[in-house]
Amino acid sequence: MPRYILKRLGQTVLTAWITVTVVFLLLRLAPGDPAVNYAPPNPTSEQLAAVRQEFGLDQPLLSQYLTYLGNLLHGDIGTSFQFRQPALQVVMDRLPYTVTLAVAAIAVTAALAIPLGVWMARRGDTAPELGANIATIAGQSMPDFWIGFVLLIVFAVNLQWLPSSGFTSTSAIVLPCLTIVVLQVALISRLVRREMAVNLAAPYLTIARSRGVSERRLTWRYAFANSSIPVVTALGTRFAAMLNGVVIVEVVFKWPGVGELVVDALSRRDFPLIQATVLVTVVLALVVQLLVDLLYPLIDPRVRLGQEARS
Amino acid sequence: MTDVAAPSGIARRLLRRSAAARKARYSTIKIWVGAICAGIVIIPVALARVLPLPDPVHGVLKETSLPPFSPGHLLGTDPNGRDLLSRILHGGQTSLLIGVLAIALSGVIGIAAGAAAGYFGGWVDTIVSRLLEAQMSLPLLLMLLLVVALFGPSVPVITLVIAVAQWPEPARLTRALVLVEREKPYVAAAQVLGLGRLKIIVRHIVPNILSQTLVVVFLLLAQAVLLESALSFLGAGVQRPYPTWGGIISDGRELFVTGAWWLVTIPGIAIALLVLGVNLLGDGLRDRVRRAKAVTG
Repeated sequence: MPRYILKRLGQTVLTAWITVTVVFLLLRLAPGDPAVNYAPPNPTSEQLAAVRQEFGLDQPLLSQYLTYLGNLLHGDIGTSFQFRQPALQVVMDRLPYTVTLAVAAIAVTAALAIPLGVWMARRGDTAPELGANIATIAGQSMPDFWIGFVLLIVFAVNLQWLPSSGFTSTSAIVLPCLTIVVLQVALISRLVRREMAVNLAAPYLTIARSRGVSERRLTWRYAFANSSIPVVTALGTRFAAMLNGVVIVEVVFKWPGVGELVVDALSRRDFPLIQATVLVTVVLALVVQLLVDLLYPLIDPRVRLGQEARS
Repeated sequence: MTDVAAPSGIARRLLRRSAAARKARYSTIKIWVGAICAGIVIIPVALARVLPLPDPVHGVLKETSLPPFSPGHLLGTDPNGRDLLSRILHGGQTSLLIGVLAIALSGVIGIAAGAAAGYFGGWVDTIVSRLLEAQMSLPLLLMLLLVVALFGPSVPVITLVIAVAQWPEPARLTRALVLVEREKPYVAAAQVLGLGRLKIIVRHIVPNILSQTLVVVFLLLAQAVLLESALSFLGAGVQRPYPTWGGIISDGRELFVTGAWWLVTIPGIAIALLVLGVNLLGDGLRDRVRRAKAVTG
């Protein structure tokens, strides 16, 4: 077990390194000059050169990269061009908002999608199930930013029940959360249905039924317990993906999370801030994935980690 | 189904209500509803240049911000007096063009890489599988945004970015299917006959798995259209004033507070209808392909 965790942590470091390298190279190789955004208006070439020198952008690519990696190893992930303060600090200020939104969204998703999926599996191939099936496909078919706007128009502008944007009160989380949940419920409930359908048709269930086990117990203690690993995996993966910034939803609702931060940093070509955001969120997502994998033996005693890493 | 000679004691009516028959009927319903939803959007978009529509780029200044069902403007106009219907249909051409090119590209890359990984195994499989895993752990939308924001939002860049984002799915499926297929006797027969490996893959294995793979590639069209609209919404779409779906919604977002709800709502309905149609059609076809495979073995 400790060996397994060590191995996974090693993979996390490797993935994080590949990611920051790709981002670093993409930023430097792309056309355009970040110095323009940080020099005085109508800058002279001397002023631009001074800005470039201040940011270390006048160095050759390789030496910039080595300096960056060296600083990373010392725990320094760069200084934001626009905020003139450590990029890590800027990211950490925004991270709680994204985490709050992600936790709320995944909790609501699980609470809705699991019962819905179980119900669809039990009513397999009947007319109500076809209706629910088409509804979940519809849930996956709407652009998320559009769902956000429609919710805004209905609840914030017309009914004025809920605040429209930013993080002004606790009720501000309702609309962004709802926007995320529509798509996630559609995806997860279909997965639950698929997994449950397999287990509901399995021979062990027939045997249990013939012994007189109640339908409720058959559904939850037998079929659902055996479907739970893929479901937990999917919920974990979705949650990890949300930590990378629910970019679109954050932009629509002006939610002050890391997704909005990175879009803003991109438009200003704030290289250190972009790199820091990507690094922090990728590591966080990988750690969440690892924690989810560590849950497997608790859910299903047959699972031994390290022998077969993924089911 | 109904041509099957019914065993005695089982009425045709009961057969029709059996689970298998119901499944078949439901996939037919999905295919039809899907085809209709997609058709409602695709056909007018395809005919955008033929239909008598106002100019999508240059508006009429005295007809600004008209609501839907105004005379001459079925879906209304934006604050620049441009006809919304015309903008949606012309924008759809760009969105669909990007979507179709992207899935064609990712389909070719995915099938080729997946087939090679599945048939050759060894180091080819290792490289492809590692690449697939690496891409899984990258924050996708962020990467796409990064590339488009930095290299400029042109049709080729966006197409390429979406294709790269989507190749894992057909690749993984093709690899899994080829792993099964290569153990079948006809492959051994082809090898004994001395056929080249490339020929065995292209002429013998791939045709046997193509129907299943193509359905998945077709389903990617839904994702591609959504991705493209998300990118244009974030300002990383094809440049204005040329309309794209995400761009029209993005333009409209500052205005819905003023009551111009149609600028946001209606283009979204167009996207949702098309994507729903593609998803339903793909889902129904997938059920059908699976059943055909199960019957023929």
